[in-house]
Amino acid sequence: MSESRTEVGADAAALAPLQSFLLEFWSNCQLPPATLFPFELALEEVFMNVVMHGSRDRPDVRAEFTLRHEDSWVELTIRDNGAPFDPLAAPEPDVTAPLEDRPIGGLGVHLIRTLMDAVSYALVDGRNVLVLRKHLDAEPN
Amino acid sequence: MNVTHDNDHKTTTIHATGRLDFEAAGAFQKDLEASIAAAAAAGNAVLLDCATLDYVSSAGLRVFLVGARAAKAANVPFAVYALTAAVKEVFDVSGFGRIIDVLADRAGALEKVGRSA
Repeated sequence: MSESRTEVGADAAALAPLQSFLLEFWSNCQLPPATLFPFELALEEVFMNVVMHGSRDRPDVRAEFTLRHEDSWVELTIRDNGAPFDPLAAPEPDVTAPLEDRPIGGLGVHLIRTLMDAVSYALVDGRNVLVLRKHLDAEPN
Repeated sequence: MNVTHDNDHKTTTIHATGRLDFEAAGAFQKDLEASIAAAAAAGNAVLLDCATLDYVSSAGLRVFLVGARAAKAANVPFAVYALTAAVKEVFDVSGFGRIIDVLADRAGALEKVGRSA
């Protein structure tokens, strides 16, 4: 089992360092590069939600990312002290709507829910705790 | 992310390379909107070559959506082609294949926008 953790402020400038944190974990655990993409995507979608929405009108919002690799699973846990937001309660976007009716945005949560094998959310001591899990033997991307 | 353009056969082709994430999305949107406006003035179609686009997030999808709408409003034929596996997966999950013409290769894309040789 290996585990790695980092914490950043809710600032878009932290996205690149977070991407490096993820790449380093993949490389240290010698995980197949083809399995990286869903985690890269989830990391960006969750973090940018905290930056754009979770930290609105709130000072000192921080997000903590924990990556865990065990057997053939990788688990990404994101804890933040931004506004409470349960992505599992968000309505599914209509992915069949025509061009004119497509909302701008709102697809990030849908992507995470579809590409991950398991997603759970809890509000713990005022912090959002989102746990994303995926089996690495799933179909290659 | 790196973007280059070429113009040939009344077609403007935008070659997008690298990662279309939140950080890259703003500049790419400006580039795409300017390319579509210029193509409209020149009577060109616009093709987006995604063969070396490795990554797209929802912030990047938003740019595709804005581009497709701008092209439609300006009567500019618009298609994307040669999606990598990751980008194709995001398109599939989002249902973007229903609202944007996605072709396997350049020849198919040229034919789709009525520019085949």
